[in-house]
Order: sequence, then C-alpha cells, then structure tokens
Amino acid sequence: MFDSAMPPKSKPLRSGGFNKNTSSIFDPLAGQIHNSEGYGATRGKIDHGVTENPYERRFSPYDFNGGTCVAIAGSDYAVIAADTRLSSGYEILSRDMSKLHTLTDKCILGSAGCKTDVDQLRSVLDIKMKMYHHNHRKTMTTPAVAQMLGNTLYYKRFFPYYAFNVFGGIDEEGKGAVYSYDAIGSFERTPVTATGSGQAYIIPLLDNVIAHRNRLDEKRDLLKEEVVEIVKDAFISCGERDIYTGDKVEIAVITKDGIEKTYFDLKAD
Amino acid sequence: MFRNQYDTDVTVWSPEGRLLQVEYAMESVKQGSACVGVRSNTHVVLGALKRSVSELSSHQKKLLEIDDHIGIGIAGLTADARSLAKYMRNECLNHKYVFGAPITPALLMGDLADKHQRTTQTYVRRPFGVGLLVAGIDPQFQTAHLYQTCPSGNMYEFYASAIGARSQSARTYLEKHYESFTEASLDDLIIHALQALVGCVSGDDELTKENGSIAFLGKDQKFTMLEGDALQPYLDRLELKNAEEEKDDDDDEEEKEGDGPQAMET
Repeated sequence: MFDSAMPPKSKPLRSGGFNKNTSSIFDPLAGQIHNSEGYGATRGKIDHGVTENPYERRFSPYDFNGGTCVAIAGSDYAVIAADTRLSSGYEILSRDMSKLHTLTDKCILGSAGCKTDVDQLRSVLDIKMKMYHHNHRKTMTTPAVAQMLGNTLYYKRFFPYYAFNVFGGIDEEGKGAVYSYDAIGSFERTPVTATGSGQAYIIPLLDNVIAHRNRLDEKRDLLKEEVVEIVKDAFISCGERDIYTGDKVEIAVITKDGIEKTYFDLKAD
Repeated sequence: MFRNQYDTDVTVWSPEGRLLQVEYAMESVKQGSACVGVRSNTHVVLGALKRSVSELSSHQKKLLEIDDHIGIGIAGLTADARSLAKYMRNECLNHKYVFGAPITPALLMGDLADKHQRTTQTYVRRPFGVGLLVAGIDPQFQTAHLYQTCPSGNMYEFYASAIGARSQSARTYLEKHYESFTEASLDDLIIHALQALVGCVSGDDELTKENGSIAFLGKDQKFTMLEGDALQPYLDRLELKNAEEEKDDDDDEEEKEGDGPQAMET
C-alpha cells in the first residue's frame, strides 16, 4: 500500500529526496534505487550489480584459468616459459600445472586461457602432426606447425578455442623462431611475446630489454643464460602484481641439441 | 570344378561351399613380392623384398608405420594396402584421443578382420586384394605379437610367417628355426628375417640394400625402418654367416671323401 504517511526508514532514499506525498503512478522513476551518478536520462540506469529490472543470465562456455606465458627468440635458441598456477575465479586449482606442451623436439607450445580448450587444442594438434608424419615420413618443421596452429584456430572462428598461445622453436636455419597468436588464429613471427593474465606487465619489459626498443645504447645479442635470468625477473615482477601468476615458472630452452627444462619458484601468494 | 559358373560375384556360393571370388583375391596376395615377419619375446621384425617396375623406377615401399607400436608389411595390391593403412592409422589416433592410451594390437586386428569380412558379404564391394603381416606390441602387457590377415577376413597370430611370391622357401626356413626366435636378440632376429628373404628372390637377382627392407619394433623400441645404407651392415653380416656355413659344409664334405671307396662306380 502507499506508505505516504510516514517517511521510509529502512528503505533507501527514493528519487525526489524527502517523501513529498507524491504517488508512484505519476513519478516514473519512483521505486528505483537512488544513486548519485546518473542525472536525467541516465538516472537509475547504471547497474551496480543489484538491479530490479529483468536481465538475462547466461551460461558461459568459457572459464579463465589464468597464468602467463612468455617466449623469446634468440640467434640459435628459443626460450619459452610459463607459470604453473591454475586458477578459477579467486581460487587456486593447482600450483603445479604445466602450460607448456612439447610438439616436436624443436618446438614447444605455451598456452594460457581456458584449460579444457587448451587441452583439446593440443590433442587436435598432436593428431594432425602424427598424420603429417605418416604421410610425409618426416617431422613437421617449426614454421609449418606455426601455420597449422593458426589454421586450426581459425577453423573454430565462430566458437573459438579460448586459448592464448605462444609458440617457440628452432626454424630450419637453426635460428630461434617465436610466434604469437590470438584466440582465432591471427599470428605473426616476433622476436618476443607474452600472453595470458600477466602479458601487460611483461611485454613492455621485454620490448625494452630484449627487443631493445626505446633504448639509446648499442644492441647486442643476448646469450640464452642471460635471457633466462631476464625471464625470471619478469615473472617475479609479474607475480607481484598479477594475482593469477605465481607458484612456479617452468622455463624451457630449445636449441638444435634439444630441449632443457628448469623450474624457478615464485611467491605462492 | 564349377569355377566358371559361380565365380562372378562374391555373394555367390559354389556347390562345394566356397566363395570363389575370395579365393581369387587370395591369389592376388601370392602375386605380390615376398614379405616375412618374425617375433621374439621382446621384438618383432618385418622384412620385405621391394619390387621395382623397371630399372628406371624406384622400389615399391612394402613396410608401413601405423603407430609407434604397430607396423605392417604388405603383399598384393599396394593401393588396397595403403587404404587399409590409412584406416588403421585413423583408428590408432582415434583410440588415443578417446581413451588416452595407445590401442591394443589385438583390438585393431579384430576391427581389421571385420572390415575384410564385410567386403565378402556384400554385392557392391570386392574383397581387399592384399595380405598384411601386422607387427605390434601390446602396450599394457608389453608383449610382442605378429598377426596375418588375408582377403577372406581370417586373422591368425604367428610366431613367424611369410607371404607373397616364392614365400614357401621362407616358410620352410622359418619352420625349421622358429623355436630359436623367442630368446633371440634383435640383431639375430633381423638376420633371420633377411635369411628367410634370401630364399624368396627370383632366379638371377640377389638381396641388396636397394630391394630389401627391414622394420622392427619392440618393448621399448618405437617402429624403426632399416633401408638403403642402414641395411648394409646386416647384409654383410648375413653374407659372412653364409660364407662360414658354406666353408663348414665344404670341410665336412672333404672329410667324407677321404674315407671309404668311391660310390656309384660301375
């Protein structure tokens, strides 16, 4: 019933401030929560997460499981690293889940995003690479895998793999090759790349230190050991700011002689 | 006896209760060049004699990889064999994708035998004109297996087998020696396979690194091919072994001639 007799105490202020005996029939904005933002046309339309208007709840097929992946190409090596934390929302699901997947003895795929999509993508790639091996009687080269990954992602253009990939390896000339991707298969060969929740913290750092952008001193080729140290520093800094990155970093160095993996502990908070 | 009247379709029985089309398909296998398979407790070795159409052409591949733990040797219509190989490869990948583990060779052979049988009971298709020797390692029990399929859909497991042209001499050799295979080393198995193949070459030809090929797999050994130069050391060893045996035989003969009177002199 209209409670115009007494001003409402427990309910939030109605629009129009003090109760002025105005009936709800005439005031179209009555009954809505007062907010200081919104004036005139925008009044009452900003959603603070609690609204009285009907809205649609949707099932999201994607979950974001967090983490950061980094890849750096050198003159005769490639370094690819990723943290090992698996999370969902504010919960940690695992502190030791690898984001790196060895495709051949010369290339590794690192993926962040929705873990189930990542696993599926890896299975599909493994199958395609095996078929290639059967038909061509040799292993796929790194640039060939890069192209195939791009095509595989685009194949699902209208229901994408929620996988943010970095791909690193040794090309046919023995040089380091790193490719960065978006979720629908756009890719490019780059000297450095990072993806995942912490990419915004790492990419600017690597651009400056490794790709030598915006620097005045002379560029020099870095040794793989130096690059690994830079990667560790990058992950420490990233782990400090990004809640989804932490626990451990898995660092893989790919050379023509094979793949070497090391682990580096990060803060577990 | 009634061959001509009842052999047009695979769906027609002959009065003797035979499917003549299937039997004709099995003849096709005998036309292919020889393929042998031998197995021990830990390894399986496949050997094949590669045929070439003329001196200018390459030799036809007869040993194919199906998965890390399964390989096949073919005799007969190569195109049919490649179609079967494609099917088997897909089955292996599919199984690994769905069940997360490599397929058991026995399971794959069951599917393969069924695939062969289907073609013997339908009007529109013809039987496959190829015999396969399938080498596989059971991924769960780590045991070695050798299977043989033929166009009829029959599938048997063997300690050792040979199919194709002039394969009888290989089978005779294998029958004599198969008991020594179970504990043989990989190298010895390869030599046995080559020795069996030697008997299958036609008249003037000999087994060389160009027309011979070996493939092996084992408990901790992925499918590996030996062709060309990689095969030469084994061929040399085989030659050495045969030369020694000949020498032993000659020595024995000389001793015999020394005693007793000459026979057959009238």
